[in-house]
Amino acid sequence: MRVEFQEELAALEAGFQETGEIVVRSIRGVIDALRTQDVELCDEVIAYDDEIDDRYHGLEKQIELVLARQTPVAGDLRLVLALLHSGHHVERMGDQCVTIAKLTKLSSHLDTRQTVVESLVDMGERCAEMVTESLAAFAARDVSRARGLDALDELVDRANRQVFQEVLGYVNDAEALEWGMRQITAARCFERIGDNAVDIGEQTAFVVTGEFTEFTDASRDVRPLA
Amino acid sequence: MLVAFGTLVVLLVDTIVTGWPGLGTQLITGLPSTVADEAGARPAILATLYLGAVVLLFSVPIGVLTAVYLEEYADRERWWNRVIEVNIQNLAAVPAIVYGILGLAFIVHGIGLGRVVLAGGLILTLVVLPTVVVAAREAIRAVPDSIRQGAFALGATKWQVVWRQVLPAAIPGIATGSILALSRAVGETAPLIMVGAVVYVPFNPTILGQYTALPVQIFNWTKLPDAEFRTLAAAGAIVLLVIVLTMNAVAIFLRNRYRKQW
Amino acid sequence: MEAPRIDSGRIAEVSRGLERSEVESRKSVFSVRDLSVAYRGKVALEGVDLDVHQNTVTAFIGPSGCGKSTFIRCFNRMNDLIPGAKVDGTVLYHGEDLYARDVDAVEIRRRIGMVFQKPNPFPKSIYDNVAFGPRVLGMKGSLDERVESALRQAALWEEVKDRLKDGALGLSGGQQQRLCIARALAVEPDVILMDEPASALDPISTTRIEDLMHDLKREYTIVIVTHNMQQAARVADMTAFFSVAVEDDGSGRRGILVEYDATTKIFTTPSDKRTEDYVTGRFG
Repeated sequence: MRVEFQEELAALEAGFQETGEIVVRSIRGVIDALRTQDVELCDEVIAYDDEIDDRYHGLEKQIELVLARQTPVAGDLRLVLALLHSGHHVERMGDQCVTIAKLTKLSSHLDTRQTVVESLVDMGERCAEMVTESLAAFAARDVSRARGLDALDELVDRANRQVFQEVLGYVNDAEALEWGMRQITAARCFERIGDNAVDIGEQTAFVVTGEFTEFTDASRDVRPLA
Repeated sequence: MLVAFGTLVVLLVDTIVTGWPGLGTQLITGLPSTVADEAGARPAILATLYLGAVVLLFSVPIGVLTAVYLEEYADRERWWNRVIEVNIQNLAAVPAIVYGILGLAFIVHGIGLGRVVLAGGLILTLVVLPTVVVAAREAIRAVPDSIRQGAFALGATKWQVVWRQVLPAAIPGIATGSILALSRAVGETAPLIMVGAVVYVPFNPTILGQYTALPVQIFNWTKLPDAEFRTLAAAGAIVLLVIVLTMNAVAIFLRNRYRKQW
Repeated sequence: MEAPRIDSGRIAEVSRGLERSEVESRKSVFSVRDLSVAYRGKVALEGVDLDVHQNTVTAFIGPSGCGKSTFIRCFNRMNDLIPGAKVDGTVLYHGEDLYARDVDAVEIRRRIGMVFQKPNPFPKSIYDNVAFGPRVLGMKGSLDERVESALRQAALWEEVKDRLKDGALGLSGGQQQRLCIARALAVEPDVILMDEPASALDPISTTRIEDLMHDLKREYTIVIVTHNMQQAARVADMTAFFSVAVEDDGSGRRGILVEYDATTKIFTTPSDKRTEDYVTGRFG
């Protein structure tokens, strides 16, 4: 029944998942660029963001049409709204990657400090993990997996604070400080990527339970609808 | 209402009581005779049945086709169709003897058919035709227009719609109306007397031969002096009643059985 | 509750309703120019210009009395059956004038079929209903095959294949309407006109009919009249919005075509304010 509509919804979600995978690749790209200080790779990541933006706008347009033509209700409506939000979070992640790439380019002429670079790479890996996990949880409509993202995010936040502390120590070295400030901003971008992944987890919970809650307190129990 | 009903009951009882002794195979199979004991009404009964057949044969096709024309083809706006419309009902109410006179002039003498069963049948056809037309029209009107629309939309011609959808659906109504008309025809006496159903027919009738009909036979028996003939007359009346009632029962049965739920 | 699996190759394929340019690239089946319909001198519909394209679903929406049913009946000349109905303007069917003198209305009704608002199966068996068209048109070939094919296309075969001799009036409303669709399909039409095909049906039967339209449009061209806007949004590629224009002196109400465009446009950014008011339910 309503086969065309079901296929449209499935296509919407598939498109979202595909874009998510592309963003994960962008994250891995910037991690590599950071580690190897590869400016060309940074340019690639930046250029590739256009693709992500186009896909997001395409998703937006399709959602508008689905709402106008099919008047989805109940679970279908929640799914469409969740896709709209999650698509936006994915697009923001893409933008964060672009910022990190630009920062890396900007500071490429300066010397790197291994500890900070390692922390950043570590953050990046965890982010890539989180995004992959959030996409999988959404696809599986798995609320507990989505909630698990909160714990991972905590690790990213911790690494962010570590970077900050480390750079504070560069106060006497002007070049190191310049480099360090840029890395703080990059770390902040990674931290934002993590938050966006948690947001996607919240959308997963919304689709399943019909209620929207912030994942700050994991002990709050909400019974799922389905 | 009660008075009328009561009178009817009295008449009925009287007839049955009087005619009861006269009932028997002799009545049905015997030829008329001046001797009451030997008299029968076989020729009359046969003629009545032949007349009925002629009436059915002519009145149904003509009546149904007229009804089809009036309902499906005629343009209601035209004045002559309006005239026909108004007059069909009037024609049904005209006393049968008027048809008898007309028949005498145009059918018996006019086209020279003579005083034969066919002529009698034709006149009776005229008598009942308006009733058949009215019944057929009602039956045709009762067929919902959506059926016609559906058939037209498939590419059927007007005639195909009428012949394959409207008439088949209208058959129960037409059948009921025809049988009721027939039962009326079978009971007619006056026009038959006018066009020469003769008194004494000691042979089986043929279509183009002389004849008498059961109502006429009964009428004539009542005029004879012998008391036995009165009994016979009453018995004949019972037979006629049975024939008519059977026809009506069949009509009602058909109507109920095939009543369409649209 | 897991998300459905779909491979990404399918994503591009899924139709979200055709774009206007895609529709217009298809052959024109009907070309209507300056069409007016009057009943006994009273104008019911005026000045309609419209093209219907091959293998699309076109919907006519609008408030009651706007002439959409009158309009759809122009396509198969069913208005001929209404005494006093007069059609002006041109309707071209595959380039030929539908109302030319030498055109046989009976022949075109075979090629342009119609399904009505209230299911109207004939008081005959299921088989005879579907076989009626082929029989009266004298179509050659196996009648049994035609009947089965039509019933399959109308998604009714499985439900009735064991009782083809049963009376059609014993079917449920939704089944009767699918039977009427099968009946129309049996004569192998080119176009199927549907005048509010689901308005007398329950929601599940309605959804079935809508799914059916989606399948049928691969082979046929479908035009539907519906008073349910959401239905037009769901099924139609192109939507025409009709409304009622009232004479300034109050002397008459005529139906007019207000806007005709891709369904996606009508329901997201309609050009005419009247259309916007109607689809948003501010006026009806």
